[in-house]
Amino acid sequence: MTKKTHSEKETYDFAKNFAAKLKGGEVLCLVGDLGAGKTAFTKGLAAGLGVKGIVTSPTFVLMKIYKANHKIKELAHIDAYRLKDGSELVNIGAEEYFGDKECVTVIEWADRVKDIWPKGCSEIRFEIGKGNERKINIR
Amino acid sequence: MYFLRCLYSSLQIWSLIFRLKKQMPKIILAIESSCDETAAAVIRSGGRQSDILSSVVSSQIDIHKQYGGVVPEVAARHHVINILPVVMEALQAAKAGKKDLDLIAVTAGPGLITSLIIGVEAAKALSLAWGVPLLAVNHMYGHIAGNFLQPLSFPAVCLVVSGGHTEIVVMKDYLNNKKIGQTVDDAAGEAFDKVAKLLDLGYPGGPIVSKLADEFAATEKNAKIKLPRPMLSSNDFNFSFSGLKTAVLYAAQKMTPAERKKRAAEICFEFQNAAIDVLVGKTIKAAQKIKAKTVLLAGGVAANKKLRESLKAAAEGNGFKFSVPEFKLCTDNAAMIGLAAAQIIKKKNVPVDNYKKVRVDCGWELN
Repeated sequence: MTKKTHSEKETYDFAKNFAAKLKGGEVLCLVGDLGAGKTAFTKGLAAGLGVKGIVTSPTFVLMKIYKANHKIKELAHIDAYRLKDGSELVNIGAEEYFGDKECVTVIEWADRVKDIWPKGCSEIRFEIGKGNERKINIR
Repeated sequence: MYFLRCLYSSLQIWSLIFRLKKQMPKIILAIESSCDETAAAVIRSGGRQSDILSSVVSSQIDIHKQYGGVVPEVAARHHVINILPVVMEALQAAKAGKKDLDLIAVTAGPGLITSLIIGVEAAKALSLAWGVPLLAVNHMYGHIAGNFLQPLSFPAVCLVVSGGHTEIVVMKDYLNNKKIGQTVDDAAGEAFDKVAKLLDLGYPGGPIVSKLADEFAATEKNAKIKLPRPMLSSNDFNFSFSGLKTAVLYAAQKMTPAERKKRAAEICFEFQNAAIDVLVGKTIKAAQKIKAKTVLLAGGVAANKKLRESLKAAAEGNGFKFSVPEFKLCTDNAAMIGLAAAQIIKKKNVPVDNYKKVRVDCGWELN
């Protein structure tokens, strides 16, 4: 499925609606350049899952866990921007969240940790078009 | 009667001893390993003022340059190798032995879990082996405490800016602080790093971006590129730097690679101005709202010369006192952790077996 958005707000809203379709246990692997909309998508997703409080970039700490107010109880927000491979994420216990029925996992810069993508994960690609246009492709 | 008098005078003697003991200088060994610097320091905490007896920082910046950023596993490995030599060097430079120590203070968060755990576990082992109490210190409070070498007037507002955080903290006194605003996406330091990466300038991004910005400023030209000042007039004390980074991307996209290279200094100049305008604007607004006496600046990005100068000018121009730590106390170091601990133990007794309770908390929020 491919969706074109034309503003940050539109990307956010798309993700918010997308969250309603999630059942729990999903691992979403976000791939795209700086400024392509990964953060906006994650913020929308968090809002859709009823996460309260501010979702900030986990680049510095690698992983942040948020409480969700939904049948899905947690959002694991992972950022692989600084990593060379997935071993680092295994070390901090990220895999424990993969496939957990009460949790949705989002990995930003997921192309850097392809070695630990679990079976059945969704790849979500963000492409920068002209100006504010973004192409979001979900597989 | 005689017995009661004896009891009374012995109580008086004890309370005198207790008071003297409280006023006696305390020697604190501080350890910090939350990101890519392994650091140890020895602090002498007096009644009113504390001194830094030694401060050792083993930086890994050159190691991480080749990866374009901190690689956590590499950082952890180097912490393991460096931690004990750094601690020993700090003790030696302060001419202090384990018998002189009253306290060990260690950063327990926020930060990278794999980095933090090495400092914390080393500190726990030393606490147990030497019988010296161990205190966990918040890294962000440590950054603020870089300002504690001189007495401060309260209430105060502190802008804490680093690679992982951008926060406005209101301080009623040394120990009572409350976060009233923060970034809603990227930290300011992270935005500097990412802009440097967008423009292919290298790592660490902050110093490179500000150096290029200074070079452009020296030409006294005006930047033709205009970037937004995100959330400058929003009704809260929050920041947003992700959008500013995206605006840099758009500006760079409009240029050919050659032009981008030629105008990198101009982009950096405008980017730095935009970031600083928002940081300074929001901090002064907060200081006015709470009727602060002092404006403080802290954190790794406080080493940015332009930010120091701009916030100082704005604070003093609006009638506030201004404080910022000297450069080497802004970037990650252990002396600031010791200075923080010196304030905490004025109000809190730390038992000798406290090491059992000390845990890494990589998401530890202030207050």
